[in-house]
Amino acid sequence: MIEFADVVASRGERPVLRGVSLSVANGEVVALVGRSGSGKTTLLRLVNRMLHADSGDVRVGDRNVAAWDETELRRQTGYVIQDVGLFPHFTVADNIAIVPRLLDWDVARVAARVDELLTLVGLNPAEYRLRWPDQLSGGQRQRVGLARALAADPPVLLMDEPFGALDPITRAELHHEFKILQARLPRTVLLVTHDLAEAFALAGRIAVLHDGRVAAIGTADELQRSEDPHVKKLVETRFG
Amino acid sequence: MSALLAFYAANQAEVLARLGEHIVLVAVSIAIAAAIGIPLGIFAARQPALARPLIGLANLAQTIPSLALFGFLIPLPFIGGIGTRTALVALTLYAVLPIVRTTVSGLQGVDRAVLECAAAMGMTRRQVLRQVELPLAAPAILAGIRVATVVSVGTATIASAIGAGGLGDYIFRGLSMVDPIVILAGALPAALLALAADGLLALAGRAVDRRKGSRPLRLALATLAVVAIAAGGWLYRANPAAAITVGSKNFTEQVILGELLALTIERHTSLTVQRRLNLGGLLVSDEALRSGDVDVYVEYTGTALTALFNEPIGTPATVSERVRTLYASRGITMLPSLGFNNTFAILVRADAARAEKLAAISDLARVAPQWKAGFGYEFLERPDGFKGLAAAYGLRFAEPPRVMDLNLIYRALSAGEIDVTAGDATNGLIQSLGLAILADDRDYFPPYDAVPVINTATLLRYPELDRAIRTLVGRISATDMQRMNYAVDGQRRAAKDVAREFLDTIR
Repeated sequence: MIEFADVVASRGERPVLRGVSLSVANGEVVALVGRSGSGKTTLLRLVNRMLHADSGDVRVGDRNVAAWDETELRRQTGYVIQDVGLFPHFTVADNIAIVPRLLDWDVARVAARVDELLTLVGLNPAEYRLRWPDQLSGGQRQRVGLARALAADPPVLLMDEPFGALDPITRAELHHEFKILQARLPRTVLLVTHDLAEAFALAGRIAVLHDGRVAAIGTADELQRSEDPHVKKLVETRFG
Repeated sequence: MSALLAFYAANQAEVLARLGEHIVLVAVSIAIAAAIGIPLGIFAARQPALARPLIGLANLAQTIPSLALFGFLIPLPFIGGIGTRTALVALTLYAVLPIVRTTVSGLQGVDRAVLECAAAMGMTRRQVLRQVELPLAAPAILAGIRVATVVSVGTATIASAIGAGGLGDYIFRGLSMVDPIVILAGALPAALLALAADGLLALAGRAVDRRKGSRPLRLALATLAVVAIAAGGWLYRANPAAAITVGSKNFTEQVILGELLALTIERHTSLTVQRRLNLGGLLVSDEALRSGDVDVYVEYTGTALTALFNEPIGTPATVSERVRTLYASRGITMLPSLGFNNTFAILVRADAARAEKLAAISDLARVAPQWKAGFGYEFLERPDGFKGLAAAYGLRFAEPPRVMDLNLIYRALSAGEIDVTAGDATNGLIQSLGLAILADDRDYFPPYDAVPVINTATLLRYPELDRAIRTLVGRISATDMQRMNYAVDGQRRAAKDVAREFLDTIR
């Protein structure tokens, strides 16, 4: 479970979040949508303490994030970003194995987990295990990035535009994979996207951020019926 | 080419020892520079506010000409003096900059998304550094080490000037003898060493690359590097520990005198002798003598009085006694003159002297306004040098005198690039190049009697030294010296052979 209570945060001198309250239940997928600069990414990064709130309460599980050991917290939260950030000097298998190795899993268990995850994200292990990141297409890299984030089975998944740079067909495929994964083993997911269709397709609830505040939150249906001007504008530009 | 091979064949052991010294100088200084530079680079990359002044500082070290840096280091305690230690300090200072710079840029070049993910996966800073940043920056860091190494192979040749040995010995010796074979004997292996080090480090670059490197390559390379450095170390060790170190300044006559001293000590005593010939000029040699890095070398009384002790010349007859007293107060014993006075000779081309009817320096004032003068650095600076001379004889030249290397000055005069210079009265080239000495008719120059100066403590420890060196006192005439100088400068013979033959004649 992730919970934000009246969170205020700034980047340098610039206030970004002006009092956000939001909670994500266990196994729930919540999408954060909004224009650039609305604070989506900042909110996400407060969860794994890549950033710190000025005030307010950010909780993961039963504790405030500040009460967590930072390393422990980060190993409990998978992190997927648009640029993927695969280690260029690690093979696909080694990239996926990073967190399991940090956790001192034995060799056989790591190898088995790598193959399992590659299969899960739709890549043939025999073919891809020993590839280097620069030998992969953009979509393949995103799949490996997702597999890496899932490697040690973190209960929480933080995703920042994970499918942003992909062509529509690959994106649809990955949406499909994601939904299968989530159906098989539901995780608590916070998904940042600027694409409302993606949010509608993947998330149970969608939070619309505007100017550092949650302008609206609800299911896809609820948002489409919303009278809030920011939400209406967002829905209209997307679905015309 | 065959002359070069013959030189190597004749000097095999010495060449290998110099090569060993060179490899050790470079390897050790690069190792130290990497041990300092990489952590410093990591630190600087983490503290961008400090990175700029740090790199500025390292840049500053780089801009100091190498010879000047060696000069600055000589008087410093602990890291200074002459010899290997100082050379290592200087070479390290030069090598640190490229390593720091490429470490910083290598670390700053690591993809931010990669670093963000590494941190978000719960890697500690240490883990990020060791598993992500350093491996990704390694090619850049290695490129820095590669540049530093190649530069260091070149700079290490200059270390010879402060007695650290290495292949520069041949280059300096060759320069002072104007012998291209000897220069080449040092320059060629130095160039090959630079190429070899460059190639080796290029291979190392492949080896540290996780993609291209293979285990056997890494192993082979590590073995090769260890063998090369060990070989250098072994060759270096082959230099025996010496009881007595003989020094000399960096021109032909001094090298011959150094050989004469060394051979004489070897013949008359059972002491082992180390030659540190071809040190820098007066100040380097004096510093070496006082610090004990050198036990004995030959100085000239007039030079010591004016340029070292900064005293006025006074009466020529008292110069010798005055210098002996001044040296004694510094713990240095001055032995009696070897027999010749190597005064400054004001030189012109013999045909020009005839045409203009010049016999003495006072005749020079007449033609000076149309003539060009060129002098060695030392002559322009020293109190018994150009300024005093110009004042004493009322000399005014067409343009300010050119500064030239002492070793090139005779040829420049002979070739007509300059019309007047100051050389050594005993220089062998005066005759062979058709030059004429103008008489010092106003007694401007003090006597420059060649006197062995020796560390008094050493002399007390080895009294046999005194007896040995005294066998040379009064035995070398100006003509003898001129002949020996010519044998080396004009006939391209080895200083050691010339010295040995001379010693045989005075037995």
